[in-house]
Amino acid sequence: MTEEKKDKEDKEEENDVFPFIEGERIDLVAGNSKWANLFCNWINNPKVRHYSRNIWPQTLEDVKKRFEHSPDRHIRDVASFTIYHKQEKRPIGIVGLDNINWVSRNANLFALIGEPEHWGKGIAGEACALVIKYGFTELNLHKIHAGIFSPNSRSLRAAEKLGFEKETIIKEAIYIDGKYHDNHRFSLLKRDWQKSNE
Amino acid sequence: MTDDVIPIFIGGENIALVPLNIENIKLYAKWENNPKVRIYSRNILPRTVEELKKYLEPSDKRLKNEVSFEIWHKKDKKTIGFGEVADINWYNQQAYLGLIIGEPDYWGQKIGEEATRLIVEYAFNELNIFKLKASILVVNKGSWRCAEKNGFTRVATFEKDMYVNGEYLDNYEYSLLKEDWLKIR
Repeated sequence: MTEEKKDKEDKEEENDVFPFIEGERIDLVAGNSKWANLFCNWINNPKVRHYSRNIWPQTLEDVKKRFEHSPDRHIRDVASFTIYHKQEKRPIGIVGLDNINWVSRNANLFALIGEPEHWGKGIAGEACALVIKYGFTELNLHKIHAGIFSPNSRSLRAAEKLGFEKETIIKEAIYIDGKYHDNHRFSLLKRDWQKSNE
Repeated sequence: MTDDVIPIFIGGENIALVPLNIENIKLYAKWENNPKVRIYSRNILPRTVEELKKYLEPSDKRLKNEVSFEIWHKKDKKTIGFGEVADINWYNQQAYLGLIIGEPDYWGQKIGEEATRLIVEYAFNELNIFKLKASILVVNKGSWRCAEKNGFTRVATFEKDMYVNGEYLDNYEYSLLKEDWLKIR
């Protein structure tokens, strides 16, 4: 690729990316169906899906469906963002809240860094911190929870760093690579988050 | 019908809130089209039974943006109106309270007051609503007095807000915060 062409592509990319929440190294941006191929690669990648517990092959069509507009009268129970690396100017993962319960005001936090070379740099932690703030200060949630499986020691540490408390262990709750693993259920209450963010 | 076949959802002193019932659809149509009743509920289009039936169809929505009840008169064993938590905004935890006593014979008996009390309590304690609103025509004195008796405060008057029978009428906006309701309860 010539310099010129690359510049032009960078420019186009920038015009297409709309930061919704700005972070330090990353921005959280609205998803874009032009990244469907990329997402499809992440979701199916054996290294990535091992931790995100995806055991079903996902077709490109399946992934594209996620970008489809849902009817307005359905209240959404998911708020999902693409993690966009500011310096590298490219999407590197997905983060968000799902299973939002609007009556009891709680939701489940999820994060996936699709590019393994970005693992271990605290980027998922940065993305999660932004989403937690969003959940409490914009969605007015009361509690955010997360489920992490035993082999994912990096996420277990990250959860504690973010202020999550371990609520319980659900024993042998998931079958990964020939073995049953425990589900460590973490949670964070808004009042506790506020105290530690004063 | 007797009390034991009525699926009471919330019981009050004189009335109970029960789920809507497709068997009563003609009754609903009667109320919604009744000139005396619809003037206050500002229903300006004829409502067919088919339309109402559609409304009662089970929806696959996981979370509704309105919840409606029948108002059941316990002593007279009769369905006399509707109550609803409508236009629920789940993001901001707000909703509108709506009420129709469809049988004019039951007006002026404080039934609206009791129904309002039951619906307010349901909205705050079960739906986790933060703020309830009501939009009531100034001429509809019975309704806004019933809101005031339940702690609602008038927050705005919208002049010439609704076109009713050839003229524009003023409209009040009422609101009740959960935190204020907890104090007066």
